Amino acid sequence: MYKFLTKKNLSIIFFIFVPIMFLWHPNWFGFLGVQPYWPLLWLLPWSMINGSISGLIFGLFLGLILDSLTLDSNFTQMPGLILCGFWFGRIKLHNDFLVGHFRYGLICSFGSFLCGTLYFLQILFENFSDSTFLLFIPSLQNILAEVFLTGFFAPLICSQLLRVFKFSRR
Amino acid sequence: MLDIRRISNSRWWHKKRNWILFGIFLFLVFVRISKGSIYKDFYYFISKPFWPGQFQKEVILKSIDQESLIKINLLKKDNLRLREILSLKESSDNDNISAAVISRKTGSWWRQIILNKGSKDGVEIGSIVIGPGGLLGRVDNTSLFTSSVTLLTSPESKVGVWVDRIQINGLLIGIGDDYPSLILYSKDADIKVGDFVSSSPASTLLPPNIPIGIVQSVDEPFKAKKTAKISLLAKPHVIDWVQILRVKI
Repeated sequence: MYKFLTKKNLSIIFFIFVPIMFLWHPNWFGFLGVQPYWPLLWLLPWSMINGSISGLIFGLFLGLILDSLTLDSNFTQMPGLILCGFWFGRIKLHNDFLVGHFRYGLICSFGSFLCGTLYFLQILFENFSDSTFLLFIPSLQNILAEVFLTGFFAPLICSQLLRVFKFSRR
Repeated sequence: MLDIRRISNSRWWHKKRNWILFGIFLFLVFVRISKGSIYKDFYYFISKPFWPGQFQKEVILKSIDQESLIKINLLKKDNLRLREILSLKESSDNDNISAAVISRKTGSWWRQIILNKGSKDGVEIGSIVIGPGGLLGRVDNTSLFTSSVTLLTSPESKVGVWVDRIQINGLLIGIGDDYPSLILYSKDADIKVGDFVSSSPASTLLPPNIPIGIVQSVDEPFKAKKTAKISLLAKPHVIDWVQILRVKI
C-alpha cells in the first residue's frame, strides 16, 4: 500500500477527487451559491511540477470529464482548462514561503477568471438575441464569486497538493 | 546501422507513455460521448451513505401548503374549463417515481441535480421533475442508476408558461441565477408583482397546470417584449426528495 501511494498514483487519486468535488458541490464552501473552481486547484500544482505539455494534456482530460458531467451540451470547459494547464506549466516555484502561497491565490484567481469568461462567452454566442442583456449581471456575479473563492482556497489547497505531488514524485 | 536504430527508437510512437496517454484520451472521449454514465454510476455508489434523510421539514411543509392551495384553485378552474371543452393534454399521475437528490449544483453556470433513480427504474429523458412547491426541471440525461435534471434556472432551460390572472402565455428562460426570467411577447401585458405562473396548457414539453413560481419584479418593456423575474416555488437548493412524472403528451 505504501509503495502504491509513494508512486505517481497519489496525484491520480487526487485527480479522481476533482469531479467528485464538482458533483458533490458542498454548500459550506460556497459563496452566493457558487463553488471554487476545483479543477484549477489540482491543475496548478500538477502543471508546475510536470510542465506545460503535461498541464495541457491533463487540462484536456479534466475538461472532457467535467463536460461529461454537466448537461450543457452546447458549452465546454476545455478551452479554459487547456489554456490554464499550459500557462501554469510555465510558472516556476518560488522560494519565499509567503510570496509562494499568495502567488497560488493570485494565479488561480486569474485562471478562474479566464475559464469563467470563456464559458460565459460561449453562453453569450449561443443565446445571442435581444434578451442577451439579461445574462450579464448574474454571469458577472458568478464569475466574480468564483474568482474570489478559488483565490481564497488556492493558497491552502495548492501548497498542500504541491507537497504531496513532490513527495510522490520522489 | 546503429545510428538508424537509435533514430527509429526515438520516434514518439515507440514510447509506451504516449500510447498510455492516447489510451486515456480515447477512454475519456468515450466517457464524454456517453455523457459520463460510468462516472455518475460510480458516484451513485460512493455517495450512497450520504443520501438525504428526513430533515428540512419546515421548509418543505410550507412549500407543500403553498403548492396545495394554488393547485386546488387551478384545478377548480380547470374543471370548469374541461366541462366546456372536450379534451386537454393529460399527465399520468399514477406513474410517479420518488427519488432522492444525490448531487446538487444550484450555483454558478451549471444548474442541475442528479437523482438516484435511473433508466433501470423507468426514468426517461424528457420526464418532468417536481418537488415540494412545484416544477423543478426536466430529465435531460439518464444512466443506469441515476438521472440528471436541468433546472429551470439553468441557462439551457426554456419552457412555455401560463400567467393565470391575465390569461397569457410566456417563455420562462434560465439566466444563470436563482430567478429565471419570464418573457411576454406583448408590450401591453398587464403583469404585476405577485402574479402566479404555472406550466402552459399549450406547452408540448410539460403537462398543464404545474405550479412554477410567482412574479417577483417586472422590468421596463423593451422592443415589444415585457420581462419579469420569477421567484420559484420549489427551491432546488433545499429539496432532498423529488417526484419524477412520466408525461404522456
